[in-house]
Amino acid sequence: MAVSESPRKLLPNTETRKLLLKWLVAVLVPVCVFTYVWVGEQMVNGVWLSLLYPDVTSLDHDPWSLIIQSLFLLLVYGSAIALSGYLVAADSGRRNMLEVWFDVAFATVVPLVLLAVTSNLLISIGLAVVVWGIYLFVRTRIRRARHYTPPAPLASLHVIDDKERGALLRLAQQAGLWFGIIFAVITLVADIIFFATDQLAPLLLIWVAVRTVLLPVAGYFLGRLGGRMALRYTVAPDAGIEVAQSEGAQRGRMGWRGNARKVSREEQLQSLSASRASEEARDVVPNDKPLQSRGATRIYLMLLMTFVVLYPILDPILFGSGTKGRITSYGDLGFYVILALGLNIVVGFAGLLDLGYVAFFVIGTYAWSMVGSPQFYVLTGMIARPEIFSWFFWPMLIIAALLTALWGVLLGAPTLRLRGDYLAIVTLGFGEIIPIVFTQMDKYTNGTDGIAGVYPPATPCIGSFCLNWSNSPTPYYYLILILIGVCIFANVRLRDSRMGRAWIAIREDEIAAASSGINLVNTKLFAFAAGAFFAGIAGVYHAAKLGTVAPGDFNSTDSIIYLAMVVIGGLGSIPGVLVGAVVVYAINLLILNQLDTYASDPSNFLHFLPQLIHNFTFSNVRNLLFGIILIVIMIFRPEGLIPSARRRRELHHTTNEDEEAEPSALDQPPGTPEFEAEMKVE
Amino acid sequence: MATFLNLLIVGLATGAIYALIALGYTMVYGIIELINFAHGDIFTLGTFVTIAILSMLGVTAANPPSTMSWVLVSELALACIGSFLFCAVLGVLIERVAYRPLRNAPRLAPLISAIGVSLVLQDVGKLWFGNTNVSFVSLPIGSVQMGPVNVDVINIFVLVVAIILMAGLQLLVTRTRIGRAMRAVAQDRDAAALMGVNVNLIIGVTFFIGAGLAGAAAFIYSLKFPNTYFYLGFEQGLIAFTAAVLGGIGNLVGAMFGGLIIGLIYSLVTLIPATVLPHGGNAWNKAVIFAILILILVFRPSGLFGQNTPEKV
Repeated sequence: MAVSESPRKLLPNTETRKLLLKWLVAVLVPVCVFTYVWVGEQMVNGVWLSLLYPDVTSLDHDPWSLIIQSLFLLLVYGSAIALSGYLVAADSGRRNMLEVWFDVAFATVVPLVLLAVTSNLLISIGLAVVVWGIYLFVRTRIRRARHYTPPAPLASLHVIDDKERGALLRLAQQAGLWFGIIFAVITLVADIIFFATDQLAPLLLIWVAVRTVLLPVAGYFLGRLGGRMALRYTVAPDAGIEVAQSEGAQRGRMGWRGNARKVSREEQLQSLSASRASEEARDVVPNDKPLQSRGATRIYLMLLMTFVVLYPILDPILFGSGTKGRITSYGDLGFYVILALGLNIVVGFAGLLDLGYVAFFVIGTYAWSMVGSPQFYVLTGMIARPEIFSWFFWPMLIIAALLTALWGVLLGAPTLRLRGDYLAIVTLGFGEIIPIVFTQMDKYTNGTDGIAGVYPPATPCIGSFCLNWSNSPTPYYYLILILIGVCIFANVRLRDSRMGRAWIAIREDEIAAASSGINLVNTKLFAFAAGAFFAGIAGVYHAAKLGTVAPGDFNSTDSIIYLAMVVIGGLGSIPGVLVGAVVVYAINLLILNQLDTYASDPSNFLHFLPQLIHNFTFSNVRNLLFGIILIVIMIFRPEGLIPSARRRRELHHTTNEDEEAEPSALDQPPGTPEFEAEMKVE
Repeated sequence: MATFLNLLIVGLATGAIYALIALGYTMVYGIIELINFAHGDIFTLGTFVTIAILSMLGVTAANPPSTMSWVLVSELALACIGSFLFCAVLGVLIERVAYRPLRNAPRLAPLISAIGVSLVLQDVGKLWFGNTNVSFVSLPIGSVQMGPVNVDVINIFVLVVAIILMAGLQLLVTRTRIGRAMRAVAQDRDAAALMGVNVNLIIGVTFFIGAGLAGAAAFIYSLKFPNTYFYLGFEQGLIAFTAAVLGGIGNLVGAMFGGLIIGLIYSLVTLIPATVLPHGGNAWNKAVIFAILILILVFRPSGLFGQNTPEKV
């Protein structure tokens, strides 16, 4: 750790200068790109202009939208400053500056530039993932060629006393302050240039002046906040019982307890196996990868969630016209996410290869469309009046999910004795049978024509404010957001539950799990039921949103697409599955369609393809692309884009995630503590 | 009765084709324990190659030959050999590119990669012949009266060719040096390598023969059925794989009988009247096949002919 003396001055000393340079550049560059390449500056100015010039009609004066926008901007810039404080305080300073800059550039600058260029969220995410993948590949190659060896992981465990805590906090403050000053100068210069070229309204100069003063002050306090966040993850010194007791009298009992817990954490880390400890050490401050540590991840998550929640209001400002279509398609993306989460339980957690997952989705879809549509009359002779039956959507969400869970058990039961590949083919069979059944039982399901006029859900009006389910996609967006939230929560809780651990155990080794007292029948059936449950929820939502259901919409290729989402993202990893669903959906529905419009345009350079190959369209080669992606991912990154920690450890037994050589504890002779720690069952 | 007998013969001929495809699945599974999802799509490309070769020789669906002649027979033989070789080489290539790098990966990895290859091949087929049905050449072969039934000669031809191929394969596997090496690799890859067997070569040969049989099956299919399209192989492959599982995957005899049984079921299901199942049995044949497969697997989890090997810990 570079901080040995406490920097009281506002100017950084020579030791910390390098640390500040490293992180200020790393944070400032994306922030500047956001501000000037993408929409940051426009949004800020837009908000101020509509406040300052209430007479100009071309500006957006909707107060609700303005509040949301300023909230979003405050969060973005505030968290960027706090992040710089956090990163400076959390960094162990052992990693190369250039390495960090490249990582940050490819993770943030590339997507932001893509967003600015394409102004299409999904396309830029998809392309950014591709670029990121290529970058990782090249980075690994270069590292290998240069025989790069990263610092040994456990050595970064650093015990921090009160003096050093104070120093770290001041360092974080310094980082925030300097961030504020530099950013204020950059924006000031930019705005002066804009003003000189007559691109800035004169009244905005007030804001420019206020901002120039405000930014360093805000930086000082927000940097301190980031430093506090970092300090939460430090390892405090082992004060010993005597010291703790004498201090306990002054600090109260909590101080003693807090100390005791942290000491035990240090010991705990020391006793873990090398690979496990390197993961845990990532969250301890200071660490080698502050960008990936838990505190920073919390900031990213907070930003992401704000963005997602506020999205329908931000969309027209960020991407221009066509909001309705985009929000509709994100509503569709939502049910893919739920399906991928459900399939992840069966395939990712329990390791039961299910190639017929679409069957449960079909059952869920038909469950609502048979009740909440005129088809109900055909089935029961009772007229399903929309104003009443729309309300049944909410109970049906649960009932249909339970129904599909029951089907999961029914279909799972005969497969219990089957292993691996036999299971795969039987589930594939189910995926084929169920759509056939729904096609041929046309007395009940209306056959290939399907069921039309499925009712949307209904919600009570609050005063004069009613949700418009039939015309606006926004209620569906929020509905699916809530459903996804519930599903992620359920997924996480299931994974960490007793049942979840049993799933992982049977995934790893069925016989060993059974001999350890795990009831294979119950565990497997529960996995099928839980997976099917989510498919049921997704099905009901899909039926209500689309309004029509036909058996031709579902076939076994769909099951494979769902599987591709789970595998591309990372089997068993919940964030991975979310990313996988987004990437597959982006490729599937947006990028290919977009490329088709390019290819059909004679002036575009892609136009040669349809001329070269007869009946070529990009949507036609969708599966070709998917196939190649699947093969490439399996060969180069079999654990997926964002693998779960456990699987990463499994698949790279001697090397960690960057395929860096790492001394294994088993290289030690027996009898040494490292060896004994590795031999201990985790 | 005549209908039943006719369906029986049609079923046997269809089943023989399924059996040929199933052999490819079962051989690959036996040797590297992988469901080769791409196998069905190799079969599709086989049908396309058959059409392509015949049309290059001037025999097209739009301009079918009116009489059988030795020239036509030699052209057909050429198409058959071409399809066999094309598929065989394709199979070896796929193994080299998509499966060999993953030989020591976790079990799900090569399976996903196989699904990937399958998707790729489907779209290659789609680019080649489009998104529509492509007609085969209809040959001027009549039918013969055998007792009460009027049998298409083509069915008998299909059966005969399939039986010759299967017998040849059986001989190859049980009587030759290569066959012995294949069995050795299937039993224990490491031990076989220690005994001086070139494991990579043998796996390559297995893919060559397995995929080649799919090519031959594709040629026979083109004689018996009216048309093909890019998704055909995936569907037929699924049924053929069901046949392989039914017989006990990894077992050659099992795959042959499994294929025949599935073919018979496929054809005899048509007899189910519309009063039992809506729209008659024909609409349900795939569902019935999978239902039977599931039923059989419930009672014999390793198929009809498979040995129930106890799991090693």
